[in-house]
Amino acid sequence: MNDAPMIEMRGVSKSFGTLRVLDGIDLTVDRSEVVCLIGPSGSGKSTLLRCINFLESYDTGEVRVEGRLVGYVEGNGRRRMPDRALREIRRGIGMVFQHFNLWPHMTALGNVAEPLIRVRGLAAAEAGLRARAMLGRVGLADKEGEYPARLSGGQQQRVAIARSLAMEPRLMLFDEPTSALDPELVGEVLQVMRDLATEGMTMMVVTHEMGFAANVADRIAFLDRGRIIAYGPPRHVLHESTEPRLRQFLQTYHERNNF
Amino acid sequence: MKLQVTLDAFPYLLEAAGTTLWISLLGIALGQVIGAAVCLCRVSPLRPLARFGAVYVSFFRGVPLLVQLLLVYYFLPYVGIDVPPLVAAIGSLGLASGAYVCEIFRGALTAVPKGQAEAAQSLGFPPAAIWRRILLPQMLRISLPALVNELILLLKASSLISVVGVTELTRSSHTFAASTYHPLEIYLTAAFIYLLMNLCLAAAGAMAERRLAAG
Amino acid sequence: MDFALYLRYGPALASGFAVTLLCWFGGAALGLALGFVVALLQRLSFAPLRWLTRTYIEVVRGTPFLVQLFVLYDGGPSFGLRLDATSSGILALGIYGSAYFAEIFRAGFNAVPPGQVEAAASLGMAPFTILRRIRLPVMLVAIVPALTNMLIILSKETVVLSIITVPELMYQMQTMAAETFAAFETILAMAILYWIMVELVARAGRVVERRVTAFMTGAA
Repeated sequence: MNDAPMIEMRGVSKSFGTLRVLDGIDLTVDRSEVVCLIGPSGSGKSTLLRCINFLESYDTGEVRVEGRLVGYVEGNGRRRMPDRALREIRRGIGMVFQHFNLWPHMTALGNVAEPLIRVRGLAAAEAGLRARAMLGRVGLADKEGEYPARLSGGQQQRVAIARSLAMEPRLMLFDEPTSALDPELVGEVLQVMRDLATEGMTMMVVTHEMGFAANVADRIAFLDRGRIIAYGPPRHVLHESTEPRLRQFLQTYHERNNF
Repeated sequence: MKLQVTLDAFPYLLEAAGTTLWISLLGIALGQVIGAAVCLCRVSPLRPLARFGAVYVSFFRGVPLLVQLLLVYYFLPYVGIDVPPLVAAIGSLGLASGAYVCEIFRGALTAVPKGQAEAAQSLGFPPAAIWRRILLPQMLRISLPALVNELILLLKASSLISVVGVTELTRSSHTFAASTYHPLEIYLTAAFIYLLMNLCLAAAGAMAERRLAAG
Repeated sequence: MDFALYLRYGPALASGFAVTLLCWFGGAALGLALGFVVALLQRLSFAPLRWLTRTYIEVVRGTPFLVQLFVLYDGGPSFGLRLDATSSGILALGIYGSAYFAEIFRAGFNAVPPGQVEAAASLGMAPFTILRRIRLPVMLVAIVPALTNMLIILSKETVVLSIITVPELMYQMQTMAAETFAAFETILAMAILYWIMVELVARAGRVVERRVTAFMTGAA
């Protein structure tokens, strides 16, 4: 364990062609902190999140996880780090996707055990035990033999969370984990995430669930056009900030949810 | 490699390629007619007709073309019909492609939304007019890429009719290969001509597709 | 039709059928292996290699199988390839099939949802592990119908090998037809036999398809 912050982003920018999706992002996340990223669609939230485990490369600036530069060789400009080193970093970072991305040809148990066997090198029996425990933790002990196609969206997402947790990550990234779910299934997934936060997991969550952000996040970052234009505790960002674009975003959100 | 061999044979091979081309075109033309007829059978509400259509398609797609070709070739004299091999060959290509064309048409037919025919019916169109004015034009546009593809397949398959003695590109190159003792050069030239014809057909098909899409 | 004839020619027909199966399986195995390699090469970001594999596929798909067979069997000795008819036939079937199989594999790779690969990458899986454990199984399930179809096409192409005197079923049948002067009946028997065989393979393909896709579509 070192005492560097869990995530440290300095001047991170990225463009797709002429479109600047990230424009000088500075952000620090400490251990056990829960940070929610909110903002209109296309504001760069997901791209920011995906830069942290380098599923997306960034053009300028630095992303550090536990002090280690992600994706590039230290002090060597933009030279890509070797695949092996990148995999090493990714092992410590769990990621949960909007569309779950479970592997359709494996059971729930298989999905959780697979990375334990292939990445952690555990024996199949031990991986199975740990996978079973993880499924129990997200409340799906009875579904271990089911294939993803037979699970509801909420169950699939909980399997996906179990799959990440089994690897014992020190940081969890959530990319709109409830956006693809039917409204009645959102709660079960948020509950699992809330429990994780209580246990002290460091989490970064891209979300449209303002209630979750207000109650669980330690800090909220509001992104617009690739910049963080408001950052701080939920009370500050959701109620006190006078940033006009943030007010407008929250206004639209309230109108849509108070019928 | 001897270039001279290729150069000497080239004009003759080109001429034989012409035969290949027009046999294939006649074959696909016949295939269209047969395919349309079989397709009408397949979608017919009359059970025996529909059954016949299904069996026809299954047989001609299931049996290798070479076997079909010899079947037709031997069948005609068996029932006392005496026609030149060329006619038997074209007939055979037409019968085979008819099965594939039938399925192409059937696919195109299901791709035209049912509501359009119903709309025409509700406006009082007679059935023939519904086919001619509403269904067929759209089916043609939808099935064009598959038909061009079928023509290319048929052009390649037509090489098999060399077996019954029709002097098309493959047979002509076979003759030259034997007489010049340079089979590799001759066959590669033949392959090149086939490839060229297919690329041209594909390009023409793509152009026609763009025209139809724009119109 | 004289069934005693078939009895007399039974052994020849049986050996012909065995050669047909040998050519079919041999050609299919070779075609699948070659096609897979070609599909993998196409995925590399090395432009000349992509161009080369593309040309290979277009040339093989743009020329008749019979001509390819002649190039290998009759033309082979000109570039030092001396094979007997059956080996030439299997090799030709393999090359012919490889171009189509490569296209099927390519489509299959494209059918794997990128998210499933990203999920594996985000867990730290190595590229080869991702290929073997995620991409391949998902892709294989997607391409079962196309593979069955191509296997059937290959089985039908085996009769073309009779033209270069490979002693497969068609060749034996034609010998029998010539010797017995019952040409039409013999070829008809051949046609019906093939018809049944192809229908059986097609049905088996549909069963396999249902089996392997059942759990992925939730129908299990």
